[in-house]
Amino acid sequence: MNPDTLSKPAVSPAVATVLLVDDEPVSRLSMAARLKRMGLRVLEAGNGKEGLAILRRERPDLTILDWVMPEMDGPTVCEQVRQDPDILSSQLILMTSQDQPEQIAEGLARGADDFLSKAASKQEILARVQSSLRAASLVRSIESARDELRAKQDELERELRSAADYIHSLLPAVGNATPGIRMSWIYRPSLALGGDLFNFSTWDDQSAYFYILDASGHGVSPALRAASFATFLRAENLRHCITQNDPAAMLVEANRRYPLTEDGSYFTIWIGSFDRTTHQLRYATAGHGGALIQRRDGSIEWLTHAHLPLGFEPDSTYELTTVQIADGDRVILMSDGIYEAPAPTGELWGTTRLETTLMAHRSAPLGEALPALMAEAERWHGSPVFPDDAALLGLEFRL
Amino acid sequence: MQIKERPIPNAVILDLNGDLTYAHRDVFKSAVETLRQKGCRHVILNMADVRFVDSSGLGLLALVSQNFKLNQGKVSMLRPQSYVREILGLANITKLIPVFDNEQDAVNGNAQAA
Repeated sequence: MNPDTLSKPAVSPAVATVLLVDDEPVSRLSMAARLKRMGLRVLEAGNGKEGLAILRRERPDLTILDWVMPEMDGPTVCEQVRQDPDILSSQLILMTSQDQPEQIAEGLARGADDFLSKAASKQEILARVQSSLRAASLVRSIESARDELRAKQDELERELRSAADYIHSLLPAVGNATPGIRMSWIYRPSLALGGDLFNFSTWDDQSAYFYILDASGHGVSPALRAASFATFLRAENLRHCITQNDPAAMLVEANRRYPLTEDGSYFTIWIGSFDRTTHQLRYATAGHGGALIQRRDGSIEWLTHAHLPLGFEPDSTYELTTVQIADGDRVILMSDGIYEAPAPTGELWGTTRLETTLMAHRSAPLGEALPALMAEAERWHGSPVFPDDAALLGLEFRL
Repeated sequence: MQIKERPIPNAVILDLNGDLTYAHRDVFKSAVETLRQKGCRHVILNMADVRFVDSSGLGLLALVSQNFKLNQGKVSMLRPQSYVREILGLANITKLIPVFDNEQDAVNGNAQAA
């Protein structure tokens, strides 16, 4: 090896601190002098216990420990360091006069990074100290990058939570949506931000409309698109675009305004409008399958038919279907995340099990039946966080 | 997802293997777009080894179909598995992308439409 390279430390020696823990004053003094000649700052301790206290306080770049010491021996200090999350990445070199292979193995197994014989040459000491300082410097840079990432992650999460609060503010109030219609809902985005939204709005004195929409994909971008779409669907805006409370006309307009994005993102949506005089519900859907009516006797009809999602075809028209609503009927809108919740085996919960659960809770108030439905889907999935957004909106008609 | 390109007279077949989902959107989109930019007028997606299509996958199918139409081209599908066929049916995708049971029908389907 070229002695020139040995004399050039890889890390800046001026700032590197070495803690030397040895109970023999003579050997400690001589090693300390060598380290100081290498330009290092040297701290000293006379036993393991004292050494550990200085290590915790001063966080040296490298600690060199004698094996046999009073109070606490070198290997025990290594073990203690490795068990303490605050200091476990410290660089530790064990030093002894008995450098048997078994002893070296034991020292490394108990947590030392390297081993140094007391009989080692000046060059070897220099090389091992430099190699440990290089490792220490790498560990420090990884730790500082990690801390920086954590800080950025925290900041991002704070911003996401604030955006999630905004999305939540777009959702309707629970309770009486309008005279004669009770509303209840549950909203569980799969990430902090969901791409599913729903709402209930009054169109005029006679009628109201309500919808559930699902932006494809997960995370920030679908949530932004969903929020924009929900704004478009506000009554004061829709009245500028269409003349009647007509879900099919709303979808034609929405299909025109929300084409497929460049990466193939789109919405599915179900919109229904309810006329308070005729008690008729008229609905149209663009690729959204999660809508049903549960009659007072518990029987269930799905309010859906196969249709392309929004944006798949520029000139789509939408079929309007009319259903007569009777006193006590419930209309339930949901995202597909609920009936497509997978069990740990991969089997999906499915609409049949969903229907069975709804039937079992038909006599419970709406505000209890929806949580029971969600709880059953969660039980099937084995966790309260679904892979997809899960939204559930229930309306009960008192006519 | 693995994609193999297999030219046949009057079309190119893409043998897809894996799930057509959000995670694989880039590899799928670039395979199909590369063909379109090379001037291919008819791409046949062989779905026989596709186990699952999620909502992002449906969007990608619609997107590539729209892009091919812009160039007077066309996308067809071959032999989707029953579960995938069900997903495609629920979203009415087959209205945009015809489904065939064998390569010859898929090619002829294009010849008739042209």
